Amino acid sequence: MTAPAPSLLEVQRALLACVAGDGCGAPLSQMIDDVDPAACLAIYRNTSLSTLTTALSLTYPAVRKLVGEKFFEGAARVFIREQRATSAWLDEYGRQFGAFLATFSPACSLPYLPNVAELEWSVSRALHAPEAPGIDLDRMARLSPSESERLCLVAHPALSLIRGDFPADTIWHVVLQDEAGLGSIQLEQGPVFLLIERHDSNVRVQRLSEPAWRFTAALCAGTPLAAALQQHSDAAADLLIGEHLAAGRFIDFELCQNSNASH
Amino acid sequence: METPRSFANGPIPARAGVGLRFAHHREVIETRPQVAWFEVHSENYMGGGPTPAILEQVRDHYQMSMHGVGLSLGSADRLSEPHLARIRALIERFEPGLVSEHLSWSVVDGVYLADLLPLPMTEEALDVVCRNVDHAQQALRRRLLIENPSSYLRYRHSTIPEWEFLTAVADRTGCAILCDVNNIYVSASNHGWCASDYLAALPAHLIGEIHLAGHSVREVEGGRTIRVDDHGSRVSPPVWSLYAEAVDRFGRVPTLIEWDTDIPALHELLAQARSADEILDRRPDDRPRAIAA
Repeated sequence: MTAPAPSLLEVQRALLACVAGDGCGAPLSQMIDDVDPAACLAIYRNTSLSTLTTALSLTYPAVRKLVGEKFFEGAARVFIREQRATSAWLDEYGRQFGAFLATFSPACSLPYLPNVAELEWSVSRALHAPEAPGIDLDRMARLSPSESERLCLVAHPALSLIRGDFPADTIWHVVLQDEAGLGSIQLEQGPVFLLIERHDSNVRVQRLSEPAWRFTAALCAGTPLAAALQQHSDAAADLLIGEHLAAGRFIDFELCQNSNASH
Repeated sequence: METPRSFANGPIPARAGVGLRFAHHREVIETRPQVAWFEVHSENYMGGGPTPAILEQVRDHYQMSMHGVGLSLGSADRLSEPHLARIRALIERFEPGLVSEHLSWSVVDGVYLADLLPLPMTEEALDVVCRNVDHAQQALRRRLLIENPSSYLRYRHSTIPEWEFLTAVADRTGCAILCDVNNIYVSASNHGWCASDYLAALPAHLIGEIHLAGHSVREVEGGRTIRVDDHGSRVSPPVWSLYAEAVDRFGRVPTLIEWDTDIPALHELLAQARSADEILDRRPDDRPRAIAA
């Protein structure tokens, strides 16, 4: 008796286990018409791993330089096994790499590495995020006072806010552009509050004061503008909101249900 | 408001083009080299920001085709609607002369495997591919070109020769064929097929584009060799010979030089394109090519 032919889905799941996991098992080998199925399968495993590793190294060039190519490839191999790509748009792949590095024990002697990775992810996002329309200020000006109370801003998809324990911005800049400055980095200078955005087709990384960052983060989290202005009076928020709008950091607004909501 | 751009329109010319890679963006914009057209990988220009903006500058001066590596037309799963939407946005933005994808699969259970994996050549797989090509052509509102794959394994339960499978997809869906001559050579060498017979079995009137690339030879256990389609070197002499056969059979067809790993200087790519043009020029232009996308 011969076994029934496997379905397409069975073939694809068997290859998934082989290419993305540990299991190039006997059932898969039996499907393949070759004296050495393992040699054929190794080509696909290697191509898949190398394509995803390249995608990570394009997104995380500073991390790669900090740890060296060999270490990076080893870390990437472990990460790729844990977090497979879910989209063929590989610019979207690797968001969790910073969180992974924070728990990856071989990297524990570089405590700033996750912060640098988080910044590089934000930079990549700023580079590749979709284009977005400008906010309709005329429509905003026509809101009634009660509607204005409920106004929540929608952030540009290229905008990120990061709080880091280490000066990730300085490390990132020095590693990629100014290695002579490596010795001058003060790791103990305290937390940094960063805003990352796309500006004229380039990525801009800037430091904010802690109050300004908290006010901006509240807006990005959907706190109504009126409530955020009230809660963050220490942030020179009236001036800051004008700057945010002029810089195109918010692209739209909606009217929230509850003016006191902070979600 | 940005003004709409006006690109050079019309079909991709039946000349040699080259695959545009990031390493050559600046040089192409600054020096505007003599080449008939460029092809790009769709997935490299998705989203917004500076990268697709650079491509617009290239598109202002050159005909362009878009070649996808991620639609996974052979997936038993349904196609990814977000991915289709991104390709559709690219088509609207860049108005490519041709849009192509592969006879392969890359996605199962929502995992993208980052390689073009081979399909079992069965009636079930044929139904799945035709269903997916129909859906993609409707969603993209374009006629697709489907490329024959290179492969390193065959399944015991395959029942249809690859060239018949590809022809059946074109017959049933109305898609055209992108004939990758290097892939035919690689697969034929790996599986013991006759490359010339493969070419001869393809329907000449449906060939809308030809791909050429380099491949490498790897030795595996037992002294056996496998040819690997790594796009990392010049087109090899036997592939040039097979290309001459293809041009003889299919007529003058837009032909692309692909080079994706160990990317050389642009002039080296352009020299490969000139070699392809010399072979195209030997063929009288007896038959207008009109594979409209």
